Amino acid sequence: MALARSDLHIRYGRGGGQIIQWFIDPFVLVGVYVLLRLILGRGGGPVALSLACAVVPFQIVLLSATSAMNAVSLREPILLNMRFDRMLIPPAAVMTETLAFAASFTMFPIAMLIYSVGPTSALLWLPVIVLATLLLAFGAAWPAALLGLWYPTVKVIASQALRVLFFAAPGLVALAEVSDDLRRFVVFNPLTGLFEAFRHVFLYGDAPELWQLAYPAGFGLILAVVFIPLYRYEQRHFAKLVSDL
Amino acid sequence: MHAQDVGIHYLFDRQQRTVSPTIARLRREGGENWALQDVSFDIPAGEGVALLGASGSGKSTLLRTMAGVLEPDTGELVTAGRVGALLSIQAGVMALLTGRENTLLLGVLAGMTPARAKAEMEEVKRRSGLGEHYERLVASYSQGMRARLGLAVVERTDPTILLLDEVHEALDHEFRDHVEAYARDLLAGGGVVVATGHDHPMLERLCSRALLMQKGEMVADGDFKQVQRTYLGDRAA
Repeated sequence: MALARSDLHIRYGRGGGQIIQWFIDPFVLVGVYVLLRLILGRGGGPVALSLACAVVPFQIVLLSATSAMNAVSLREPILLNMRFDRMLIPPAAVMTETLAFAASFTMFPIAMLIYSVGPTSALLWLPVIVLATLLLAFGAAWPAALLGLWYPTVKVIASQALRVLFFAAPGLVALAEVSDDLRRFVVFNPLTGLFEAFRHVFLYGDAPELWQLAYPAGFGLILAVVFIPLYRYEQRHFAKLVSDL
Repeated sequence: MHAQDVGIHYLFDRQQRTVSPTIARLRREGGENWALQDVSFDIPAGEGVALLGASGSGKSTLLRTMAGVLEPDTGELVTAGRVGALLSIQAGVMALLTGRENTLLLGVLAGMTPARAKAEMEEVKRRSGLGEHYERLVASYSQGMRARLGLAVVERTDPTILLLDEVHEALDHEFRDHVEAYARDLLAGGGVVVATGHDHPMLERLCSRALLMQKGEMVADGDFKQVQRTYLGDRAA
């Protein structure tokens, strides 16, 4: 918690401005994509709600990974001065972004109100969907932390590559609007299931399909199972590496 | 504190950047260096030990190993007690946090409960003498102010082993006296102090013993004056 709290101050500042930023960021992002859809002539229907269903889970995964990439080097002064449990660093990055993730949920009731989409019992699935989203973010944080340390010069490229995953999933348009040829590939993106699961409960008013939750959650778990032991092995060398960055 | 054949090994890539063993297996190796090799010693309770040696001789690496910041690649180093350290020029404090925020973070990382770390905030503020600067970002602090904050936090974690790496030399005379008095009290209470720096008179006042480091190896261990003479030769006078 102390690490996450310090992350919050460093990433988002302090006081009211911090909270306003949590609320504003996803609205701005959705606004940009709504504009893009309008320019492409695909502005019909509850566009903003559909986009929010993609932007909200994407932001937690993207920001957890990019924060984790910098998380170890950010703590260089402490790493070089005292012993502490360095296994806490990637989860702290996820915890920090989870607060912004929680704040971004305010978009859903507003968008639902705008498009007159009423809440349904499908919303009961929300905790499971949130858990699957956090599992993917948690899993992605470990390789991201190692990547940021091993290859510090590729952090910018890696962040951009992660952003591409939004467009390589049904982010701008729902999966049903994606051509059959592309759909075969798009479903392999773990974000696809999350975007669609959010659309099911907020937009379509029905339960998500099993694969939409199992695949991203399983993907996150596999990342964690593979990279946590590697991170544990590597963390004993962190002080050598950060002093060289 | 007990050290037996301690070694710290660095690996480099072709661009001479430090890499971990995992990456060294993937990238073509660019070389290696033993920053410490076969270092052995025992430091009993109540003893002050100075590390002497030229820049790059391994003093800071040895202090970081004692602090648990670096884990030995060979041998073992066992410490009995809580370690408090001021090892880097940044005194272990985060530039983008305020003094108060650093107190909470470092206190918790040092093993305090969040409640206790919060309770210590005002005492750290008082001891550091930072006044209103305590509520400002550490990025605006001078080197000496960072060291004051770092030491004040260390003091409140009740260490039994104090490690000082030159950083105390950034302090003004008043606060340097405070560091010295604190280290003396710690020694009198059965604690251990290990310090390095170029202020030999201060080291001598605190440390009855010295270890001389040279190219990562310990080449002398004994009475402070004796080891100082070995290190400085004619300049010791």
